Amino acid sequence: MKNDPVILTRLLTKSYGNTVAVQDLNLSVGRNRITAFLGRNGAGKSTTIKMLLGMIRPTAGSGTVFGKQITDAEENLELRHRVAYVAEDKPLYGYMTVEQTIRFASSFYPEWCADVEKRLLHDYELPLRRKVKTLSKGMRTKLALLLAFARRPELLILDEPSEGLDPVGIEYLLKVLVARSAEGVSVFFSSHQIAEVERIADHVCILEKGRLLMDASLDQLRQSYRRIDLVFHTPAPECEFRISGVQRIQTSGRQMSVFASENIDAVIERAFDLNAVSVEVAPLGLRDIFLETVKEN
Amino acid sequence: MLWYKAWLETRARFLASLATLTLFSGIFVHHAQALVRPEWKTDFYRLLFVNQQFLVIMWVLSVVLLGMGGIVREKAVGTSSLTLALPVSRAHLLGVRVGMGVLQASALGVVPWVAVFFLSSLAKRPILINQVFSYVLLLVGGGLVYFAMAVLVSSLVAGEYTAPALAFGVVLLGAIVFDSWLRQFNVWRLVTGDFSIDRSTYLLSAHLPWTGILASLSVAVLMLAVSIIVVQEREF
Repeated sequence: MKNDPVILTRLLTKSYGNTVAVQDLNLSVGRNRITAFLGRNGAGKSTTIKMLLGMIRPTAGSGTVFGKQITDAEENLELRHRVAYVAEDKPLYGYMTVEQTIRFASSFYPEWCADVEKRLLHDYELPLRRKVKTLSKGMRTKLALLLAFARRPELLILDEPSEGLDPVGIEYLLKVLVARSAEGVSVFFSSHQIAEVERIADHVCILEKGRLLMDASLDQLRQSYRRIDLVFHTPAPECEFRISGVQRIQTSGRQMSVFASENIDAVIERAFDLNAVSVEVAPLGLRDIFLETVKEN
Repeated sequence: MLWYKAWLETRARFLASLATLTLFSGIFVHHAQALVRPEWKTDFYRLLFVNQQFLVIMWVLSVVLLGMGGIVREKAVGTSSLTLALPVSRAHLLGVRVGMGVLQASALGVVPWVAVFFLSSLAKRPILINQVFSYVLLLVGGGLVYFAMAVLVSSLVAGEYTAPALAFGVVLLGAIVFDSWLRQFNVWRLVTGDFSIDRSTYLLSAHLPWTGILASLSVAVLMLAVSIIVVQEREF
């Protein structure tokens, strides 16, 4: 049970009329690790998260969180005891003060940690008596994060958690996420800030147009993806490099860039066979991998 | 704490309504003598009956406003994902909201009439306590169907103005339709005491229209049950 995925979906699909928001999603989020959920706007990330939390019903397929069926109202209620969710727009009740919001949220979770609450209140410099509606976006984000962290969940689902935070706040958030993960909390978060993802994520899932394009560990991605820059005497022979593992080829006159996730050696060998003047192999960062993956699709 | 949230969400509407209804009733009774016409034989009880007519209008407006809000409205303002992520069922969320609304609607019926009772006593025109009890019972017991209707409308319609406009429209249309063709089933007349008043004494009959009250409460329960189903089925 310890190694069972915390989130598991099978052919999870959500359609709105003729529009497919999520299609045949097979997602497996491991325990005690930080999983980044990447995708462009409208890729289906928030829809997936909402299905996991029972806010919307899947059109087809199934899913579990901690082994609880997401479509079963009773089981979904049970799983929500163990999951903390911070939504993209950081929703909070504007008519409550910061203090009232904290008291309200803490009443639902017996495991609420007053020490974490106190520390984050201090670190985030949140004004207890201020109405939430008067807080800045950054302050609202901090309050939403405090509510999520202080309840000591087993799974943190965060939708764009760093949005609205200043660089200091982002740095602090990343540290907290890593610390929580080290304590055994599973983290599943979406972000457009690839640099942040690259710093803390253990695993990366890329969603595009509702389909899961990539599900791999960050180390695995770093090891496998390469950009091979080639220069030839004559116009670059693009068709010669269309082999398995090559994601995309960019050609400009005698120069060619090959983005590949496997068969790197075969590409290099072929380049030498074709008398390439220059062959340079460079590792790809997550940002490039993400861009190449979504561009290709 | 859900009760606390429900209170925070509705307290402004509730307190404003309570103040309006109580002040209106107090002032109405205070100036009762000046309003009494010579031809009225049972002047003061007739005035109390008139007071109930005005009170019903304001009470219905108030409970319809109190019935607004909830998780559908929260979706429109963007807080539904916070509420729905809580480990609480949707039925529980609605139940607390309804519970708070029923308590507030009851207070809006009881407090103005208690004020009338004491003001009348102070003005040396004591009124029968059973009359006060009957007016309150008719107002709350018969009238909760208006609150339930507002909850149902707010479960179907999210708009800040659309939902109350629709709810008030239903109240008005219901009053017209029932008064024209189904008068004996007109809840408005039930609540105002029109079915129970003795036109010679202007005292409410000791035999209250229990069938009407129970029927009205049953419809209210049915509407609330439909609201729960609607909210459970809805996607957020």
